[in-house]
Amino acid sequence: MNGLAAGLTSTAAVCAGAIAIGWAVAGALVPRGSRTERLAWGFAAGFAIVAASASLAFSVGLEPGWLPFLLLAFPAVAVARLVKLRPPRQSTFDERKPSRRPSVVLLLLLAAGVAIYALRALTEPMWANDYVAIWGLKGKTFFFERGMPERLFQWSALSFSHPEYPLGLPLLYAGLAFLAGRWDDHAMALVFPLLQVATLLLLFGWLRRRGASRPLALGAAALLAHFEPLYRGFTTGMAEVPLSFAFLLLGTAFCDRLDRTDRGASRRLALAAVLCASTKNEGLFLVAAALVLAALFAFARRGVGARAAALLALPAAVIVAAHRVVRGSLPLRDFDFTLLTRPAELVPRVAEALSAAVAETGPRTWIAAAALAVLLDAGKRSPAGTRLLVLAACGFAAYLFLPALAVAAPRWLVQTALARTVSALAPLVAAGVAMRLVPVFASGSPRPSAVSDESTGSERGPAASVASRARRTPWTRAS
Amino acid sequence: MSGRRLVVLAASAVLLAIFLLSEPPRVLARRAAFLAASASRPLPDRRLGGSGTAFDRPFFQFVEGARRLLPAGVEAVSLETSRGADEELYLASYQLAPLPVVRSPRPIPPRSAALTYGVSPPAGWRVVARWGGGALSVPP
Repeated sequence: MNGLAAGLTSTAAVCAGAIAIGWAVAGALVPRGSRTERLAWGFAAGFAIVAASASLAFSVGLEPGWLPFLLLAFPAVAVARLVKLRPPRQSTFDERKPSRRPSVVLLLLLAAGVAIYALRALTEPMWANDYVAIWGLKGKTFFFERGMPERLFQWSALSFSHPEYPLGLPLLYAGLAFLAGRWDDHAMALVFPLLQVATLLLLFGWLRRRGASRPLALGAAALLAHFEPLYRGFTTGMAEVPLSFAFLLLGTAFCDRLDRTDRGASRRLALAAVLCASTKNEGLFLVAAALVLAALFAFARRGVGARAAALLALPAAVIVAAHRVVRGSLPLRDFDFTLLTRPAELVPRVAEALSAAVAETGPRTWIAAAALAVLLDAGKRSPAGTRLLVLAACGFAAYLFLPALAVAAPRWLVQTALARTVSALAPLVAAGVAMRLVPVFASGSPRPSAVSDESTGSERGPAASVASRARRTPWTRAS
Repeated sequence: MSGRRLVVLAASAVLLAIFLLSEPPRVLARRAAFLAASASRPLPDRRLGGSGTAFDRPFFQFVEGARRLLPAGVEAVSLETSRGADEELYLASYQLAPLPVVRSPRPIPPRSAALTYGVSPPAGWRVVARWGGGALSVPP
């Protein structure tokens, strides 16, 4: 066996090993009974351990590879077994049996979306400019240097590689290459379809646990699987696909924590904050946005939001501090934040950014936006859905506003990055819209009575009943 | 089926159609054919045939050739090209990593090799090899 097949085999084996470890760790994160969701968190935990193993090896001088990976994996699994979550006494799933036919069709549609993205991702070695100049360059340098050379962060001649970006993705690349024993930037593209699968598993599993019918959860996942602006050859190798997964991890864990669905919600929220902050600066921004939302909840109900805010802030602060230690304080060199103090200059730049965004939006995108608006309107009020959509709106607003601060002119940033970066919000939007549609697709007789949500008013339907049951059951209360 | 469900299904169908039209089936078929034809080739060949080198495939061949011929002890690479394009710097930096690649430094740092493409090698430097419109040279 040679060529791509050999590289794919070893990369797939390494990923399978990491995911198996992650699955064991996820026993402490996700309540038993939600296997798809646990598997998704297993992907996240497994890949996080791979990236952390490279970092550990560099910082203590160990030979990178299996030893540091196992040094992290074994304690993580052991601790996870000690604090494993018990199964819920009462199923939280909408287990009524609708016709199987729609589910089979939707499953086939979903599988087609995964297969199409796998083909796009694996057609050729990862090639996008941002992969070659930023993420791949750092990962390849870490792998061959067996460390993080200071020049990557200090040399002005290498500033095109954005030394200020978080190092999670390059460390994941390096970690996988150490475990596979070689740098193969074609086979490593397999990580991206796997991240897509993890995102879809999480979306499906979380929606099911929050009361969505199987066809609705499958339909949301199938639509997302075909979302080409995110799952395309060009984005393979860049941070958007992993970031979109981290966004969904964060959003779902945030909702669960505020609704106190289970003991694992706090742990999931902390891990999601770590993953967001390690992947991209926007991840840190979304953690901050969630933190503000959690603080708003704290005003409404003392304790609940404050703890969620702490669970968001502390892990993210640790990641930021670790980056400071490794590479010092680095400015966001693409942006001029002093413009914030000069409104006379800023306002025309905001207008330029917005007009460029409108000009760059083609008819298909407008039609898609209209269809999305129809879906939102057809849904019913859902606090969890609202939170997810508000988080996504925060991200969207930031992506629209940031070009106004761009050193290289607002129009340039809009043209080169807006569509790609905004696409990373798609899983959050899919989850938010689907939550609003839960009551629309609830089959048969009404579910058990809904209760008032903690601070956002009433919620109807199965999703609320999940939260209410969790609140009534002492052992599922979040610590 | 309720009217609301029908509206949801119709809007979802519109979204799905838009997503599916984003990349026509013939492009997917071309991808599959390309993958089948290139999968057994060595990694540099697969990159050579891919999108990342499409801006100037001979340039990639030049950089990959230089990578194989770089003398031991070289700690950095100076890159000078007639176009001075960013893609050239990015591709060379990635392909030659972990060696740092610096565009046209003056003076060229010690223990560096010079890659010149479409321009003359640095005066007085020893040319190790010339091919494809470029040259790899080292200090005398």
